[in-house]
Amino acid sequence: MKDLILRNRYTLLLATLAVYMGVLVAEGMVTGREARIIEYENPYFDFNLNEFEEYRERRNEDEDEDDGISVRFEDTGDV
Amino acid sequence: MNKFAVLQFYGLLRREVLEHRNLFVGAPSVLALLILVATAWVATQIDQSQLAEGLEFVSMLFDGLSPFDMAPWIIPLAIPFYLTLYVCSVIYLINTLYQDRKEMSVLFWQSMPVSNLQTVLSKIVAIVFVAPVFYVLIMFAMYLIGMIWLTILGISNEVDLVGIGWLFLAAIVSLVLIYISAVVTSLWLLPSIGWLLLFSAFAKKTPLLWAGGVFILAGFFEDFIFGTQYLANWVASRTSDPNQYLILEFQKVFERVFNYDMFFGIMVGSILIVGAVFMRRFTD
Repeated sequence: MKDLILRNRYTLLLATLAVYMGVLVAEGMVTGREARIIEYENPYFDFNLNEFEEYRERRNEDEDEDDGISVRFEDTGDV
Repeated sequence: MNKFAVLQFYGLLRREVLEHRNLFVGAPSVLALLILVATAWVATQIDQSQLAEGLEFVSMLFDGLSPFDMAPWIIPLAIPFYLTLYVCSVIYLINTLYQDRKEMSVLFWQSMPVSNLQTVLSKIVAIVFVAPVFYVLIMFAMYLIGMIWLTILGISNEVDLVGIGWLFLAAIVSLVLIYISAVVTSLWLLPSIGWLLLFSAFAKKTPLLWAGGVFILAGFFEDFIFGTQYLANWVASRTSDPNQYLILEFQKVFERVFNYDMFFGIMVGSILIVGAVFMRRFTD
């Protein structure tokens, strides 16, 4: 087994990556690991990416409404 | 510990610093010089009386307040240095073992009484513990020059300088926090360090491309074959939240260092580092 893994650089790389991925996947399955969203809490200032997401969604909604108005306006103009 | 082994390791660390002094010393020195020049230029654009007023305000703000409480307010000044250290670390880690093979110095070092494990460990210690020391020392020199300049400005404008002394103390405390943060961040990102070292020892050409390409391919195959995204989740869970490794208070050090995620990261990073140590036997 040792000879097989250390035969050349490619077999060693594959073996290392296989062990690495195996440990990661096993740990991920056991702990149910999920990506974390940036939530920066400290006593000095607050930083929460969710607020930016809400802001972006709100702004998109506002833009959609604006677009709607402009379309109606253009339609009226064409008529 | 064996004195010879300590001297060997010291020699290896010294070699790393001498061979990569541009990344360890040059880059932060140039950055500090740029910041000082930019600050001096901005100061020349502001009216002298306004400058004195600003100085008086800062002096009053810091006067009598604990340096430990005020240090976090000074830490943002270190952000350019953090970013420079991060970029320099990536350049160093991806090139260090590759360069040894490219210029064939690996044969010389393998003929010396040092093992591959010692060599790789010296590179990790150099980037995790030694490089931040140089960055902090250069920042200290920059703060010192800044304080001297503020003192001269204060004396010439008859401003009470007691608060500036407190500001300097807060700056010193912030440097300690910055060093601890840099070390904790490096330990937290040990899997990335191991990944870069592995491909630095593996690639015959373009190690950065190999490191990035294999990472993307591994994520793609995991998703394609198993329908899972543990690799991407793993990376995202360790890089997306700076609160996991940045330290703004001394009380947080224990909590940041001794936790499950940190130990698991060090364990997973060690797998890649062991791979890099064994990979070093292929010198072609």
